[in-house]
Amino acid sequence: MTSLDVPQRRSHRAVARRFDTAGPLTYVFLIVVTIVSLFPLYWSLVVASHTNDAVYAYPPKLLPGSNLFHNIHRLFNSGEVNVDFTKALINSAIVASVVTVSVVFFSALAGFAFAKLEFRGRTLLFVLVLATLFVPVQLGLIPLYIEMIHFHWLNNIRAVIAPNLVTAFGVFLMRQYIVGAVPNELIAAARVDGCSTWRVFWHVVVPAVRPVAAVLGLLTFMNTWNDFLWPYIVLNARNPTVQVAISDIATVAYVPDYSLILTGCFVSILPLLVVFLLLGRQIIGGIMQGAIKG
Amino acid sequence: MKGRKLRRGRLALAVLLVAAAALVAALAATAASASKQDTITLTIDVFGDFGYHDLYTQYEASHPGITIKEDTEDYAPHHTALAQHLATGAGADDIEAIEVGFIALYTDQPQNFVDLRQYGASDLKARYPAWKWDQAVAKTGSVIGLGTDVGSLGICYRKDLFQKAGLPTNPAVLSKMWSTWSKFFAVGKQFQAHAPKGVKFIDSGSNLYNAIIGQANPAYYSPSGNVIAATNPKVKAAWNQTMVAYGSGLDLGLSAFSNDWNTGFKKGTFATVTCPAWMMGYIQGQAPATKGKWNIALVPGGGGNWGGSFLTVTKQSQHPAEAADLVKFLTSPASELYVFQHTGNLPSEIPVLKSKAVQNFRNPFFSNAPVGKIFATSALALKPQILGPHQGDIQTAATNAIQRVEQKKQSPSASWNQFLKDVGDVSG
Amino acid sequence: MIPGPTLDGRTGAAAAAPRRGRMMAWRRLDPKVSPYLYIAPFFFIFGVFGLFPLGYTAWVSLTDRNLLNPAANFIGLHNYALLIHDSYFWNAVENTFGIWVLSTVPQLCLALLIAHVLNAQMRVRMFFRMSVLLPQVTSLVAVALIFTQMFGHQYGFVNYLLGLVGIHHVYWEAGRLTSWIALSVMVTWRWTGYNALLYLAAMQSIPWDLYEAAAVDGARRWRQFIHVTVPMLRPTIIFTVIISTIGGLQLFTEPYLFQPRTSGGTGGSARQYQTIVMYLYEKFLGSTQFKFGYAAAIAWCLVLLIAVFALVNYLVVGRIRKAEP
Repeated sequence: MTSLDVPQRRSHRAVARRFDTAGPLTYVFLIVVTIVSLFPLYWSLVVASHTNDAVYAYPPKLLPGSNLFHNIHRLFNSGEVNVDFTKALINSAIVASVVTVSVVFFSALAGFAFAKLEFRGRTLLFVLVLATLFVPVQLGLIPLYIEMIHFHWLNNIRAVIAPNLVTAFGVFLMRQYIVGAVPNELIAAARVDGCSTWRVFWHVVVPAVRPVAAVLGLLTFMNTWNDFLWPYIVLNARNPTVQVAISDIATVAYVPDYSLILTGCFVSILPLLVVFLLLGRQIIGGIMQGAIKG
Repeated sequence: MKGRKLRRGRLALAVLLVAAAALVAALAATAASASKQDTITLTIDVFGDFGYHDLYTQYEASHPGITIKEDTEDYAPHHTALAQHLATGAGADDIEAIEVGFIALYTDQPQNFVDLRQYGASDLKARYPAWKWDQAVAKTGSVIGLGTDVGSLGICYRKDLFQKAGLPTNPAVLSKMWSTWSKFFAVGKQFQAHAPKGVKFIDSGSNLYNAIIGQANPAYYSPSGNVIAATNPKVKAAWNQTMVAYGSGLDLGLSAFSNDWNTGFKKGTFATVTCPAWMMGYIQGQAPATKGKWNIALVPGGGGNWGGSFLTVTKQSQHPAEAADLVKFLTSPASELYVFQHTGNLPSEIPVLKSKAVQNFRNPFFSNAPVGKIFATSALALKPQILGPHQGDIQTAATNAIQRVEQKKQSPSASWNQFLKDVGDVSG
Repeated sequence: MIPGPTLDGRTGAAAAAPRRGRMMAWRRLDPKVSPYLYIAPFFFIFGVFGLFPLGYTAWVSLTDRNLLNPAANFIGLHNYALLIHDSYFWNAVENTFGIWVLSTVPQLCLALLIAHVLNAQMRVRMFFRMSVLLPQVTSLVAVALIFTQMFGHQYGFVNYLLGLVGIHHVYWEAGRLTSWIALSVMVTWRWTGYNALLYLAAMQSIPWDLYEAAAVDGARRWRQFIHVTVPMLRPTIIFTVIISTIGGLQLFTEPYLFQPRTSGGTGGSARQYQTIVMYLYEKFLGSTQFKFGYAAAIAWCLVLLIAVFALVNYLVVGRIRKAEP
């Protein structure tokens, strides 16, 4: 459409050679960071692939055992764990997908308005958005629960979806990003071309926010997937999300079977990794965008 | 350029379609679950393991048209959720299990529970020891719950460790040797003198304290409902005895139910544990490899109760009559016996405690000890225990106070003073 | 924009005239009305699900409401007055700020560094980016289990490693500073990748010619980082600082799950790591006190603290030199 598409590959490569190539020190640093990030996850896989005894072994067990598939089989056998893990996975997938799409879209919309549009009360309203972040979620649980009773949404996944459809975090993030990433000249040019506000949003802002939209989408999906407290309160074992299901496994017997619990945790991560892979490409795509936009 | 726009547009469209499909699926799912209304489903909410699974099957078989669904949580979240559900007027199951640490809180709020006298509970009173029955009776006379189990006490000990330290291992002999707590500590000192390296006589000060307090009567509350923790010499005595045990080097100082404590079972770092009946199941689950190395003797001081629960029917239930009937079934002598034999929870009803089945019951894990006899004797000998609404918090304050000393953060006297302050806070 | 036929079938100039009229009307309204339309979804959701809880807890904080008892008396600001003299509250404030400093400052610096490093051309970039975010993916149950085990006193993995270099049996959970350190490690581990990715996304929008210009001026990687990256990242840095402030002061789940089971929500035997939200939770739901009114007052004090502290941080971070246009 406009200057967005002008290729500047030459200057990109020139800068890249001088600036970008990672040296060996960088790799070492990253490998250390990766090991630290991965280790707890790895160790939970180790425990999941042994029997319960492995949790308390000392010195700690460090290599995976052979029990993983057996534990996975136990996990999905509802009779033993008293909760339908498949249903939990499906519920979480629905909730996380709907919330993610909604949050990314509406946050971009509102963030754009706060960042680039002039209107009365803009600063005050934005501060209000921020202020909503200040209140700790724990205390609002009871009144929110009362609301859910009135809507007849107890034990219904709507109770877990609706309050999260737009978040102040998303609006704030988008606004900060758009302030820096979308040049005013671009918007002015689009206006001159006769674009309505919607078209400005759709054709100028949306392409520009792809990296942060991917990140926000990823983070929102993960946070919703991992959300524990509110679903635990408003849902029960008969219509759970995956975190509620895991905590229910944890209480099935007098002594928690940690290998089974961590198997549940491990299985619940797999869909997240899929989402990673899908959205991760968007983040890479952002590099090209940034390169070209110079 | 146009291609990119088109691709973006298609991507956005695809995303929106997925979201819409998901929304439709969600709505459909919630609609579907509402359709099955022909059978009555009774929901029961417990914590830990009450051992009722086979009993549900039995009941459903003899009562076609009734389906039972159990929810279970950990002890603390269970009671938190109960409070929240009662406070907001929705979300409680038909039947709720309440542990003795919280029951006094709810006898203060009988309006939340169905008075089981409406369903013939009064006829069942004679089956229970008076102290157990009274714990679930509100000031208004309303009977809000029927007792499930009791936590009468014994001492579980590792006979192989005792042997290594040159102590006798016969439970009858030991029970006589430690008929009082001072004698118990004397035995402990004997043990420590020749104990294997790193092994202590007692696992945790708070476990010891809970057992001693479990024998005190009155303990934290007077019969009229006042908090007397500060002035009751029995409370101070329990504290002092715990401090003596710690000061004499008998106490390993572990935090009960922590990872270190769990591992301690496996590694044999402590020789005795104060054992309410439900602790048996715990030990068996934690350290299956130690089967046959444990035995059980009588608790010093005789008697004492730590734990035990009740089943209640909440006013939120849509089927109070059916729920009450199920409660009566689950707490019937036959059911309690079944649970005892398979899960280890000690029955709370006199006829069951006195029955041959219980009295002759032996547990192979604990060297075939006559656990039925040991615990039943203790339960039947118990005098009334007066509870109050903030029982659980005072217990927590005491546990923290003991831990502070064990973790070398405060001297015993400073920690005791802070305990008193906390008691005032909590009950104020 | 090529006009097509109108709904009632008119085409050409006849169709164009009224549509043009509608278009002109919308054109006038659009800049004025659209902004409000765009922010409306947020305020609608917030209005339904956020405002009522807020108002409710504000009201409750002025009463002596017990959770289990619907009847309550209006007592004005009495709860707040009690709070000021509540040593456990101030203890929780101290714990919260202590843990915040230990966890947030290193975390954000590390995140910036990691993002900068990940911004470079390299092999298997995707893999490193994903692994940095894996801590976020791990469920809280697993995190609590793993870290409690790792920082265990007798049998913990960290003590095992420390034992190899001669440091024996640190009782992490029992000590004040040690519990803060353990919790900071947990929080940093969990949130660094999150912030790194936010910085990375923002770095994507920095035009290359700025780096090129700096390179031409003789600036090496580090100076480019200080003089180009950081100023351009200023809005994002402000964002992460404010979010970390809010999140850090509201810390609850990690310390709550770190407790031994007998702790009863007190954050350790001497409340050494009880945060403000843990104290709030203890007062209103986690014990037998059920002091709903008092807890609501704690919540609103926390809101005030967060607002003040966020403002302070904003002013501090705002001193980063603004990016040259």
